[in-house]
Amino acid sequence: MIEILSASALATVQDLGRVGALRWGVGTSGAMDPLALAAGNILLGNDEGAAAVEVPVFPFRVRFAQDCAFAVTGADVAAKLDEPVLPWWSTQARAGQVLNLGLPQGGAWRGSRAYLCLAGGVEVQAVLGSRSTQLRGAFGGHEGRALRQGDTLRFGVSDGEQRSTDFGLVPPALALPLQVDGLPAMRVLPAAEYTLYSEASRAAFWSEPWKITAQSDRYGYRLVGTPLEAVSALEMRSHGIVPGVIQVPPGGQPIVQMRDAQPSGGYPKLGTVIEADLWRLGQAPIGSRVRFIETNWDEAVAALAQTRRWLDEVRRLVELQRGYRSGR
Amino acid sequence: MTTSNSDRVRQLSDWLRDTDIARLELRGPGESICLQREGGRIVVAPDEPAPEMDATSVAATAASVGVFLHRHPLRDSAIAETGTTVRSGQVVGLLQIGALLLPVTSPCDGVVAAMLLEHGATAGYGTRLVELHPSSTTS
Repeated sequence: MIEILSASALATVQDLGRVGALRWGVGTSGAMDPLALAAGNILLGNDEGAAAVEVPVFPFRVRFAQDCAFAVTGADVAAKLDEPVLPWWSTQARAGQVLNLGLPQGGAWRGSRAYLCLAGGVEVQAVLGSRSTQLRGAFGGHEGRALRQGDTLRFGVSDGEQRSTDFGLVPPALALPLQVDGLPAMRVLPAAEYTLYSEASRAAFWSEPWKITAQSDRYGYRLVGTPLEAVSALEMRSHGIVPGVIQVPPGGQPIVQMRDAQPSGGYPKLGTVIEADLWRLGQAPIGSRVRFIETNWDEAVAALAQTRRWLDEVRRLVELQRGYRSGR
Repeated sequence: MTTSNSDRVRQLSDWLRDTDIARLELRGPGESICLQREGGRIVVAPDEPAPEMDATSVAATAASVGVFLHRHPLRDSAIAETGTTVRSGQVVGLLQIGALLLPVTSPCDGVVAAMLLEHGATAGYGTRLVELHPSSTTS
């Protein structure tokens, strides 16, 4: 068991999301950086989709009530378990130890969310096939809400079960980098209403940086830049949307739907951040700027395959290491 | 080298002959073999003496082949700068194998004296990576 010591809200239990529930009007939820969650789980020998704690506000502290192997991935948050713990690293905690996650560090890459993965995964009831917290519907995760001080979470490994620890990974931000003019970039598929925007607006969308405003969270990222102008007034009926969809409200400042997005919306859609790059946006800090790269279906599918290959290679190397250690 | 190894040396030599490998070093606890190419033949080369080290020093060595890193890929500063006091088992560097990072740990309580390999250089199994002064002899 771990106990949450921090009063700061907004940390939630997440897995890879409640995929397939949009047809019932239930949003996807899940980790804003699914690659960090999956890699952290692989480091611990868990299923890739085991539930973990997503932490967006720091400092964040937990106490281990029992011995437990854990891994902290995502943003480099200068983790400390009495001694400093390296980022993207698996570590063995002893009962009573306190893990402190500090402010995200700069260095070679600045992320905004850390993932605390635990051996066996966080044990909460799966709802509609997922352990992710569905904040809007107040179900899933831990009591359908963000974690509070004093909450305790169980994980799926009995006391005393040993997991090989003390090794780590080169983060995908470095292994699968994507930048334009030094800014994190995401590939975008033009969407249904793309051609209804002026040529100048479309050009600006691809060639100018977009700043992530303070009105950005797990529901959506509100961006600010040169306002996007439609050729004529657009009125639409509500229709289904998915995480990644870039809506343009009347003011012309786009909103990128994120993991807690509602399943329908009525604003025109300029484009969709491809699934393979959504983690890059999910890790971009508030106040930072990002760039968008025009892509097409084939490239989007290829990007997803590249991500899959990276995870497969990580699993292969970690399993070799685990086998080597147990064979010694 | 013991005679029980001679069959293995012959086997390794046969394999090496069909490759473009110029030199093969195998090191294990208490023994090592070095084979090298001379024209069309593979011969046993004399052991190279271990690099001279201060008698009061010990070294953290590579437990695997990999790329030696002084600092974590996300960080600007070294994991253990020269002069840092470390405990036995503490991480003083990293070995990168593809996406994987393995710890290079101090074999003793002591002080980091020198990095013996450049950041980003390839290390072989057993390569001495970090020189340390054990605290029992430095205090």
